[in-house]
Amino acid sequence: MTTVPGHSEQITATLREPANQVSPNAVRMWRAIAWTQLAVTVLVLAVVWLLVGEATWWLVLVTLVVVAPGIMYAVWMPPLRNRIHRWEVTGDAVFTRSGWITTEVRIAPLSRVQTVDTRIGPVMRMFGIAAVTVTTASAAGPIVIDGLDEEVARRVVVHLTETTAATEGDAT
Amino acid sequence: MLLVGPVQVARQILVPAAVALIGIGTQQPTWLLLLTPLIIIGACAIGFLPWFTTRYRITDTQLVVTRGLLNRTRLTAPLERIRSVDLEASLLHRVLGLQKVEVGTGVDDTRIELNSLSTESAEELRTFLLERGTDAAGPVQAEAAEPAAVPRADLARLDLRWARYAPLSLSRLAVVAGAIGALTQFTDDFPIVETGHALWDRVLSFSLALVVVVAVLGLALLWVLIAVAGYLIQWWDMRLFREAGNLRLTRGLFTTTSTTIEEARIRGSMLVEPLLLRAADGAELRTLVTGLEERVFPVLPACPRGFATGVGAELLGTSEPFEVTLLPHGAAARRRAHLRAQVPTLAAAAAGVVVTWAFGWSVWIAVVAVVLVAALGAVVGEETYRHLGHRLTSGYLVAGSGALTRVRTALERGGIIGWVVTQSFFQRRRGLATLVATTAAGSEHVTVLDVPVGTAVAVADAATPGMLTAFLRD
Repeated sequence: MTTVPGHSEQITATLREPANQVSPNAVRMWRAIAWTQLAVTVLVLAVVWLLVGEATWWLVLVTLVVVAPGIMYAVWMPPLRNRIHRWEVTGDAVFTRSGWITTEVRIAPLSRVQTVDTRIGPVMRMFGIAAVTVTTASAAGPIVIDGLDEEVARRVVVHLTETTAATEGDAT
Repeated sequence: MLLVGPVQVARQILVPAAVALIGIGTQQPTWLLLLTPLIIIGACAIGFLPWFTTRYRITDTQLVVTRGLLNRTRLTAPLERIRSVDLEASLLHRVLGLQKVEVGTGVDDTRIELNSLSTESAEELRTFLLERGTDAAGPVQAEAAEPAAVPRADLARLDLRWARYAPLSLSRLAVVAGAIGALTQFTDDFPIVETGHALWDRVLSFSLALVVVVAVLGLALLWVLIAVAGYLIQWWDMRLFREAGNLRLTRGLFTTTSTTIEEARIRGSMLVEPLLLRAADGAELRTLVTGLEERVFPVLPACPRGFATGVGAELLGTSEPFEVTLLPHGAAARRRAHLRAQVPTLAAAAAGVVVTWAFGWSVWIAVVAVVLVAALGAVVGEETYRHLGHRLTSGYLVAGSGALTRVRTALERGGIIGWVVTQSFFQRRRGLATLVATTAAGSEHVTVLDVPVGTAVAVADAATPGMLTAFLRD
């Protein structure tokens, strides 16, 4: 693609999808978390219903307003997120897509990467999932690769640390 | 020297100490006599401590500062890593011929502070550290830094006539309004106000319109005075000049400051034109800098727009970012700008329904209010769209933004360290996206709002050749 500075308006380009999908375990985890949240909410509501003892109009309203979106979230979010979340680490850059209602595509060249962290929360450990966070010198630019199998995450971190260690300068 | 520390400590403890003393004094007057000298001696002791315990020395390779009495800390900064040496002197410092020196290494935000050096030794230290720094210039990217053609030539000096722009920047107004609000809390306690109230009632009955006019004129006059005074206090004797590859800004009427920025660290600029200032053809200029505490660094106060862009062009090495016409983002972006500006109209309509229904006000009050808010929203929406835009010049990504304040941000293409393309649900439906260039400078990101998604990707690709190539669809 050739560009004359200032005349990029006539040119449009499209990004392809990042190569890799998240781990199937991540989808299971999202689903489990969403349904657990819903179960807890329903439990709390049930206690309130018992305490009030009758079906007042506001109680019905609150139940509908809380439970209906909760069910929609638990049903729609995991597959939608599974379709949208994708990631790719090449020899020169990290490329991710995330989100489900609002989508976000992030690209950072490895030459600008400052730190690489792995995060495994307690729930993530149960599902064998890890998240890799790549930070650059900009507070606006951390890239989180979410929902990786622990083994894949380990390989990604090794690759990233080896590549970024080879670059010089302070990456600003 | 031995005065500055205690005075600073005294100033910090003044209010709590006074409150405590008054509280105790009303109960037990004798305690007052005992406690007052104790507090003064305490302030002196605490104030002296840093001076007695802080030492600095310069080795062949490092600046070493040791401080602390019980917890001794030792700060070291490799000389070639020192990026900024800033001087500051409050009125007290200046009377005593002293300076506070702040040394920044640019990598992290911690700065080494040396309070109360004599003015000569502070200046000596500054020159020495900065010259050492530039001699052994490390792996800093020095693409844009041109050696100063004419050393010590002033890029800008304060022109006193610029003070006329001061009242047009309303950013200081919030502070003043807050201060006045706080003051009114106290006035109730004064007996004068009681008699004043009686007088007030008589004046009110005389002519309400006259009172309103006088009050508005009085407040406006007060604002002009405060704004001009604040402007002059902050920017008095401002000089912006180049010095051995660095940009140096000195200014201040009471407290003088001197800030030095390595020119290689300047990644771009922001031209800010608030509504009123824009009407008077004025602007403010800031630079986007990496590795400085204040990453959006104001280099010029409100001044004529042409002058601001001239200095900006000098700093960026090209006038292009200030002159190019920005490319608009099209009808969909305009619709979104208008929609967003109409959100207050919804709130006004809701409020209108409430006051009509609950308080039984006339429907027409609500209707007129909603129409006014909607009209204002239409103006704001149109302005927002007109300010929106982007352009790629040979060296810079230029982004236009702002609703009432017009902001033109120019970011050096080499300073872009990543991209984020966000699409909300509604943006996706309209084929728009928010393009964010991440950078280590300034607020760490430059945002191009509501740009057609294809254009966004193309701009990103063109701005940083190669960064996106592998991820583009053919």
